[in-house]
Amino acid sequence: MNELATLSIDGPVATLVINRPEQHNAMSIGMLEALHRCVDELEVAEGVAVTVLTGAGRSFCAGMDLKQVIIDKDSGGSGEPLLPKRLLASLGRLTVKIRCLPSVVVAKVNGAAIGGGCGLACVCDLVVTHADSMMGFPEVDLGLCPAVVTPWLVRKIGGGPARAVLLRGGVMSGQRACEIGIADIVCPDRDSLGAAVDEVVGRYTSAGHQALFATKSLLNDLDRSRDESIVLRGAELSAAVLATEEAQASLIARLK
Amino acid sequence: MIQISDDNGVRTIMFDRPDKRNALTPEMLDGLVESVRAVALGKGADANVRTVLLCGNGAAFCAGFDLDLCRDDGPEQSVMKSFLVGLNAAVEAMRACPRPVVIAAHGAAIAGGCALLGGADYVVADRGAKLGYPVVRLGISPAVSAPFLLDSVGPGPARRRLLDAKLFDGVEAARIGLVHELTETPDEAIECAHKIARAMASKSIKAMKVTKAWTMEIAGEKKMPGRAARALDASVSLVTGDEAIRRLASVWKK
Repeated sequence: MNELATLSIDGPVATLVINRPEQHNAMSIGMLEALHRCVDELEVAEGVAVTVLTGAGRSFCAGMDLKQVIIDKDSGGSGEPLLPKRLLASLGRLTVKIRCLPSVVVAKVNGAAIGGGCGLACVCDLVVTHADSMMGFPEVDLGLCPAVVTPWLVRKIGGGPARAVLLRGGVMSGQRACEIGIADIVCPDRDSLGAAVDEVVGRYTSAGHQALFATKSLLNDLDRSRDESIVLRGAELSAAVLATEEAQASLIARLK
Repeated sequence: MIQISDDNGVRTIMFDRPDKRNALTPEMLDGLVESVRAVALGKGADANVRTVLLCGNGAAFCAGFDLDLCRDDGPEQSVMKSFLVGLNAAVEAMRACPRPVVIAAHGAAIAGGCALLGGADYVVADRGAKLGYPVVRLGISPAVSAPFLLDSVGPGPARRRLLDAKLFDGVEAARIGLVHELTETPDEAIECAHKIARAMASKSIKAMKVTKAWTMEIAGEKKMPGRAARALDASVSLVTGDEAIRRLASVWKK
């Protein structure tokens, strides 16, 4: 079986790839576990100044795997009532781990970053995408609540704008995401994304690495990023809404 | 002076004083508070309301308090005080409402009109709309708006805009995050706000309620207990002072 996430380290630059391209890198429990393993490895890797997080293929991450958050087996779900809760808690813990990596983490959003996938991007220190990528939080359109990733969006763009984005639902272009601060750098098209990321990665690697680590660490203290209990409460809230009949019915309709 | 109508889960509350650019009276604020609180309580027909839309009749959303009503106010400034208390109650009611609140800030949202935006979850304005808090010129403190503006736009822009009486346009309001969607014309802003309110009303009540409450909690809105009361007091305590009385009087001399 292919690895659902891969890590490669080249000098001061690590690349972490979400690797389930045939499913648009939708998050399954197996993939989250693979990401946890990679991040654990990164935590202790020496000499890494920058980590680039990206998706294999033409998407960054399409969010939760529908088949793992639908409970009813006959409707195409997992048949495991506790799986969505485990998934969300695992995603929550993963986001805190990524945020607390010593290296600067760059999200290279190479296509769709939806729901939890967009949340994964918001955790990163910098988000780079292309103008016609697709980003956003359509959870409320499906009767869901993106509570587990809400803390990261609030820390990224502030409480008021976060409320507007999350209650509006839907998705937006990479261009629009950059206008409202979800993305930090936008390049014209997918072909120019690599160069745009390389340019900013070059600036990080040529800076003082201890200075980067100390600055990032302070920022994490200031916005309480290390507090895992907030995202875990969010995971519970998300899971509770997800388990309602209304939400399950709309997920099943979406799967069909 | 306000019109309230329910349609397909959207409660539209429209300020209806177009000849006065929808300048507020204390009664209009009371009506707004009462209607939004009823949605929060959700009794009877109010239970069917899934989104609240606030807009104005005519060219401007709202030009702020109708200062003409303060003209013959005594030294106690009781009309001005009731404006400030009503404004604070309106913003608090919108925030506490479990349903999303959309505002069409078409044309102009000035002073008290701009302060109302602090209660919205989603604000649509036209690019050329005029917004701002020009009240310090009158010796009035916009302190009552401070907690809500801090939550909406963060400390930097909040300081800039509350202390500087200069108006700004819709484009700048969107840049700082006070407005969430821009249109070319004021009419389009109203249309767009209606469209968004209808879309929000079609979504799951539970998902919207939990998402609104959780986002506000995460943003630390409960951080300083009693902060809204303290902000209101800062505004109210100033209005009986010499400076406010002198500067307000100069408005009517013009």
